[in-house]
Amino acid sequence: MKKLGLQIVGVWVVLTMLVGSLVTCGPTPTPQVAAEATATPEPVDKVVTFAWTQEPDSLNPWYTDMWFSGLLQQLYLCWAWEFDENNVAFPRLVTELPSPANGGVSADGRVITMNLRDDIVWSDGTPITSADFVFTYNMIMDGGNAVDSQYPYDMVESIEAPDERTVVITFTEPYTPWQAQLWRGLLPKHVLEPVFTEKASIQEAEWNRAPTVGCGPFVFAEWQSGNYLRFVKNEKYWLGAPKLDDVYFKFVDDASQTAALIAGDADIGTFPPLSDVPSLQEAGLTVMVQSSGYQEGLFFNFREMANPGARDLRVRQAVAMAIDREAINRDLLLGLSRPVETFWDGLAAAGYVPSDIVPWKYDPEAAKALLEEAGWTDTNGDGLRENAAGEPLTLVHGTTVREIRQDIQAVLQQQLKAVGIDLQLVAEESDLFFGSFSDGAACAVGSVDMMEWSDSPLVPDPDTDYWLCAQVPSAENDWGYNYFGCDETLDGLFQQQLVAIDPAVRAPIVQQIAKYIHDQVYWYGLYDDPDYWIVGPRLTNVRFSGVTPFFSIAEWDVTE
Amino acid sequence: MGRYVIRRLLQAIPLLFIISVLLFVLMRSASDPVATLGGRSNPRPEERARLTRVLGLDKPLYLQYVFWLIGNDWAKFDADGDGVAETPGQLKGVLRGDFGRSLARRGEAVTKIIWERMPYTLLLLGVAEVVIILFSLLIGVFSALRQYSLMDHIITALAFIGYSMPIFFIAIVSIYVFGVKFQQWGLPSLPTGGTHDLQVGPTVGQTALHLILPVASIAIISIAGYSRFVRATMLEVMSEDYVRTAKAKGLRRLRIIFVHALKNASLPLVTIIGMDIPMLLGGALVTEQIFGWPGTGKMFLFHTIRGDTAVVMGVLMLISVAVIIFQILTDITYAWLDPRIRYE
Repeated sequence: MKKLGLQIVGVWVVLTMLVGSLVTCGPTPTPQVAAEATATPEPVDKVVTFAWTQEPDSLNPWYTDMWFSGLLQQLYLCWAWEFDENNVAFPRLVTELPSPANGGVSADGRVITMNLRDDIVWSDGTPITSADFVFTYNMIMDGGNAVDSQYPYDMVESIEAPDERTVVITFTEPYTPWQAQLWRGLLPKHVLEPVFTEKASIQEAEWNRAPTVGCGPFVFAEWQSGNYLRFVKNEKYWLGAPKLDDVYFKFVDDASQTAALIAGDADIGTFPPLSDVPSLQEAGLTVMVQSSGYQEGLFFNFREMANPGARDLRVRQAVAMAIDREAINRDLLLGLSRPVETFWDGLAAAGYVPSDIVPWKYDPEAAKALLEEAGWTDTNGDGLRENAAGEPLTLVHGTTVREIRQDIQAVLQQQLKAVGIDLQLVAEESDLFFGSFSDGAACAVGSVDMMEWSDSPLVPDPDTDYWLCAQVPSAENDWGYNYFGCDETLDGLFQQQLVAIDPAVRAPIVQQIAKYIHDQVYWYGLYDDPDYWIVGPRLTNVRFSGVTPFFSIAEWDVTE
Repeated sequence: MGRYVIRRLLQAIPLLFIISVLLFVLMRSASDPVATLGGRSNPRPEERARLTRVLGLDKPLYLQYVFWLIGNDWAKFDADGDGVAETPGQLKGVLRGDFGRSLARRGEAVTKIIWERMPYTLLLLGVAEVVIILFSLLIGVFSALRQYSLMDHIITALAFIGYSMPIFFIAIVSIYVFGVKFQQWGLPSLPTGGTHDLQVGPTVGQTALHLILPVASIAIISIAGYSRFVRATMLEVMSEDYVRTAKAKGLRRLRIIFVHALKNASLPLVTIIGMDIPMLLGGALVTEQIFGWPGTGKMFLFHTIRGDTAVVMGVLMLISVAVIIFQILTDITYAWLDPRIRYE
């Protein structure tokens, strides 16, 4: 029996060693430390490690919608144009941004003509041509490829390549948000076309997991699933090789990201728990805040099934005045954000926010007076208000299970109770919360009066189709996402701005929309929800954009 | 014994079938894979309709299960949405060894996704299991032999503290103390996560170093529980007649404890370990997540959140098969260890 025990232990140890050897037999990176005792020390590689809290699902830009995947693409892929730290577009693959003035945008807004630079190449040296754009479009639209989204390419009538350097995109209708939506990732035709020809799909292409040919400042080197991603300098990058040699993305948990950054196991991270910010700063890391256009806000439901209070403008205005946003920012967000007034505040620099917006001020007494005026009084002395019909002023606040949102719910409940509004709280997983009408999802069927989440227009474009009448969910429109209601005036304004090709015409319409939604309190901004970047002391020359965050990564450097 | 094993294996077939149906229905009912494809926004209704069609999610649930089980290479699908089914299916089905393709990692074989993570989970949990068994036996026996002594009381108190601490708490505290604070105090510190220092490479030393904290986090709770178990059974065995006889015969104390008493005291532990081992395959979800250990637990969580039925089913069926096999092996080991047990 003793022998049996020893045998079992022996087998276990051998198995563990075998598995251990499997784990440790991976490729060993080139040692980063120069060999000692040489007369001229070899230069030390410049290596940067990101603490990355979500592993990408795919490195093919058309098979992922993850924000964390999209960021990576700026290392190994290229966009026709990118956006700087002010979220302003600048040309990358094109010689200049298409515009009505240079003939790049047709008078009717349907045709976009792009002129490509003549020095752009893939990392293997193959020139990037208009054929790559046409191929990318064809792959997006081919049914066999099942890409995550065909928008806005499903609105394209044709894409033509009259020569190697020209791409002409014709939309079926005028499409103003083209700059924000087109060409977020280009596919190398010379790599993927043979795969498509053989299998009638690129779904299983090796390139999706190992895009060894790219067009960004770095080239894919290695992806160890669940562990890390590694990119190395693209020596053939047409704008000059980047200053960093290696970039690692180490996959960490939200809970351990802060520890990894403080311990120096990573140089840069994003979206830390805000409560960790003081510790990170104390450890010498810098918190960089970059506006992305996202804002946390309350969307009011003014459909017929909503509480009469939510449908009453004066009640919505009273809610706006009863909420102390400064206190939320100070106490829950450690003062790292700021209240916002309109859904377009992130685009204020582009002129989409009117100057005559009067910010909602925290004034509970004025809120009470407004509620009295609207006929909501406390008739039974329980501290909560009712209308003449005896219906209680009970609003249902729904949101997703993100921790900060549930904290805010609790604060709002207290603040609204102080003016006599009873707030019932609902928090669900996002796939349930944003489910379909037929599934009875809270937003879709309108069982919540106020909905909270963070969102943005199509930054840097001001368009959004949230409030379109055609998007109100119903049995016939099961997945409609206008959970708020149909306002014909608002719908008309949205339709107008969408076809206004001239920015000088479009901006005032968007301003009108912003003011209308603000004054009607259809949306109430709680706080700006920017991107937070935690940058270690070794990194220099780091700049971020809210649209293409790593637009300047080729210029980043490290100091030892 | 041979007939017993064959009977148990045959009984496992309908059991696995029922398990697979239940898991498939639960998984497909509890998640909406298309909803997770929209990133920060929900997919537009027309995108949703297209994805539902091309990913085969528009088919009735029973048909999706049939495709998963026996494949769909005998059927045709409407890939382009023109209402005509013209594209032949590609799946061979689980019964032909094809666990399907991942939805989140579009088009990748489930078996590949699982096997690239499995070595890490087996290493982490294999080492943890050795540590757990070793320390549980040592502490349990030590405690039983010194019943009601000061050390026994201290061990009992520590065991209760260890057992009542959630694993995520142990993991996070250990990272901060041994990874962050030790470094700040100028002491040798341990890595905060991953499998190796990325600039050094996956050497044996690096892997061992990176195993310390996750293994300790997993082991503390189990050692706390199992050592109490060993203590209790050891106390029971030490008062048996045959132990008294062994003492009367003048056998050495260590021989009595580790050969005669521990052998019988550890019998119930075999059952627990037999149930533990198949669970290794599912990974240590919390530990792998917090320590960034690239095992199946972390992978399982990712694909569950994404509603990736094929991958989740692959992991769950693997665990189900392992549970059945290890139950049979446990029974066999039991009979081997205890000659009084006979299976007919």
